[in-house]
Amino acid sequence: MTPGSTTAACAALLRRDLTLAWRRRGDIALPVLYAVIVVTLFPFALGPEPALLARIAGGVVFVTVLLAMLLSLDGLFRPDIEDGSMEQLMLAPQPLALLVGMKILAHWLTAALPLIVVAPVLAGMLHLPPAAAPVLVLALAIATPLLSLLGAVLVALTAGAKRSGMLLALMLLPLCVPVVIFAAGAVAAAQDGLPWIAPVAWLGAGLALAVVLAPLACAAALRIAMES
Amino acid sequence: MANWVPLWLHRLGSPPIFYRFAGAVYPWALGLAIVLGGIALYGGLVVAPADYQQGDAYRIIFIHVPSAWMSLFIYAIMTVAAFIGLVWRIKLAETVAMESAPIGAAFTAITLATGSLWGKPMWGTWWTWDARLTSELVLLFIYLGIIGLYHSFEDRRQGARAAAFLVLVGAVNVPIVHFSVNWWNTLHQGSTIRLLGPSHIAASMVWPLLTMMVATKLYYIASLFSRVRADLIASEGGKAWVRELALGPAQDGKA
Repeated sequence: MTPGSTTAACAALLRRDLTLAWRRRGDIALPVLYAVIVVTLFPFALGPEPALLARIAGGVVFVTVLLAMLLSLDGLFRPDIEDGSMEQLMLAPQPLALLVGMKILAHWLTAALPLIVVAPVLAGMLHLPPAAAPVLVLALAIATPLLSLLGAVLVALTAGAKRSGMLLALMLLPLCVPVVIFAAGAVAAAQDGLPWIAPVAWLGAGLALAVVLAPLACAAALRIAMES
Repeated sequence: MANWVPLWLHRLGSPPIFYRFAGAVYPWALGLAIVLGGIALYGGLVVAPADYQQGDAYRIIFIHVPSAWMSLFIYAIMTVAAFIGLVWRIKLAETVAMESAPIGAAFTAITLATGSLWGKPMWGTWWTWDARLTSELVLLFIYLGIIGLYHSFEDRRQGARAAAFLVLVGAVNVPIVHFSVNWWNTLHQGSTIRLLGPSHIAASMVWPLLTMMVATKLYYIASLFSRVRADLIASEGGKAWVRELALGPAQDGKA
């Protein structure tokens, strides 16, 4: 890699974001803790009946992961905008969409990957049949980058706004409805012993589309947010 | 040959000219909307016969279906206006997109409310998680998100541009709402009105529906124009044409 090339810039940005995340290891644990606590609440609220919990396990895990990711999304661009490094990224000769894509990748690695790791444990707490666990992990592995990409576009849009916490939920959750339907549908199908490949394929198609379009949309949205 | 059409549209994009144009159209659109709406309600609630299957309860269709059409139509208009505003940076297009959102949200809310009122006697439930109902609910959430994003910025134009972007992102939902009845076979009845080919509904029921459809469109125009006029006055407050409007022509020049 020659210094200053696009590859070098992307690698440097990725390394920087991961190093920053590693310096604040405690923050990586927070979404996981949040997910564990939310999932624990369900048996208390609905009663500890295994049959009932097994019915809702897949859906509960997906909604919990979605909410945990929503909490972590606010920190995706805000520190960079506050300390001025976002302006530097915009002025860089490399395409902004690519650099923003690296930031989204770093966010997925630090915020979503730990959630995928604990998801089988969470599902086990809710008595999800072990046979459905691999499908759950596969669906999460495709659905969470999709949520990261969709969320990044909307976070970029609210980056210039004064208050954005609840607004982000209001904007993101309607757009996440198809992701939740297909991901939870795949797990439910696996649980009932039905073929589950079709919803997973739909998720994959959505992810392919989002990988191409979301960084471009995200870069455009950031330029709108920063132009004042 | 027809060179004056693009020229006229181009001139209409200027705030003072649109302000005067909207002011001239507004009373006519509102008056016609009230007259046609009254005729449609009379035709639907009094003249049209009771349905062979649903009795008199079906009459809510004359409110429900036109509002449902408007909830999608306004989103389509917003998408076009938002695209024009983002690409060519025409301020008026941004204003039209943003001022359409509350009207569209209101029509979506009316659709959901009348739908649940209709659902109770027909299906025995206020709400069911059927494809068309949920996608219409998601449409309402998208409208609310757009309104919320627009108002969360201190700078109006920046808020309008960000929200216009969200309009384009949310546009994927519109075809889903429109075709959900055909794609998923659920509790909601299929569409009975066809613009091309014969409708699956009696002619005495069609004409009030179509009249109401025109009336709601005119109401949208009237409501949009009055909102845009108010917005233009607010956002262009410092400009010469607004000062002229408030103080009379060219007062500051003589003083």
